[in-house]
Amino acid sequence: MSATRGEHEQLFDGPFTDGLSSLVAAAHELKSPLALVRQLSLTLEDGNITDDERHRMLRQISLTSERGLRLTSDLTKVARLNDALFELEPINPRQLCEDIINELSPIFTAHNRNIKLISRKHPLLLVANRDLLRRIIINFSDNALHHADNKSTLQIQIGSLNAGKTIRLGVRDYGPAISNGMMQSLKSKLAIAPMPIQARPQSSGLGLYIASQFADIMNGKIGVTRHHDGATFYVDLQASSQLSLL
Amino acid sequence: MSVRSVLVVEDDEWLAQLHARVLNTAGYKTQIAPNALVAIQMIDDELPDVIVLDVLLTGSTAFALLHELQSYGDTGDIPIILCTNLASDLSVKDLAPYGVRLIIDKTTMKPNDLIESIREII
Repeated sequence: MSATRGEHEQLFDGPFTDGLSSLVAAAHELKSPLALVRQLSLTLEDGNITDDERHRMLRQISLTSERGLRLTSDLTKVARLNDALFELEPINPRQLCEDIINELSPIFTAHNRNIKLISRKHPLLLVANRDLLRRIIINFSDNALHHADNKSTLQIQIGSLNAGKTIRLGVRDYGPAISNGMMQSLKSKLAIAPMPIQARPQSSGLGLYIASQFADIMNGKIGVTRHHDGATFYVDLQASSQLSLL
Repeated sequence: MSVRSVLVVEDDEWLAQLHARVLNTAGYKTQIAPNALVAIQMIDDELPDVIVLDVLLTGSTAFALLHELQSYGDTGDIPIILCTNLASDLSVKDLAPYGVRLIIDKTTMKPNDLIESIREII
């Protein structure tokens, strides 16, 4: 099974649909990691640092660069969504999420935070493109890492809805609550989904726009749930019906 | 002379640590707040001599914090240095009524610019 942009007619009508605004948003999002890498490099150049500090800063440069590169890679992928063919296949969400946690553990460790999986031992399979789904969850996790309180544990949660017809993968963070005004804004945008949603005021929303584009191509959708101590960003995807064929 | 205190309001943990390192080395007492709410709590506990403030923060933006600080006589007088990626879009003249004395561009600053800026205003 495969999906292309042409088979899925719902297109975004948000602020990133023209090239210039996408470019500005991408430039804005890349400023932070680049500015941090620059400050770390200048501090290393200064030379008046201990071996432990040097080791830690070099590690931070690597991890920050990787975060920036993930964004550029996602942007490239979005730009090619129109032309590409994406294979959809039954995926074990637990295995995928465990792989993601292993991939992200270095940056979480460097930030003194934990990430863990909340799931049944044998969750239902879902239908998705493995690479795109992986990018969505990493995108949510990057966002959560940045906004979560120090030393908090982030959760990747797997659940099912609609009597098992829909699988929800969510990333729960524990940090400042989304304000009422921001939540109303999110709800109004989600009500006329698909629309890009902005997670937090300081974000251009580009990361979530990318995630929603990837979800869209897999006939899924993204959303957000506010909690008093953080938020859960999730993607809903169709459950695999292969069990019903047995 | 007593040790001057600086409150760094910055949601990028690693950048905040770099700022604190530079400030501590220069002899300032430094505290870090990752968002505006924590900043208000810290200011409640102890008035800093200077606030170094990022603009795009988790939760409320810096402007909400600036409004809050201006609502009280004692906090309204704290000099503020904005340290932001948006420096090119902001002007000290426009923000002076909110206590902003200087704006540092994160994308071009050098680590010691923080020290020179603080010395310039206190």
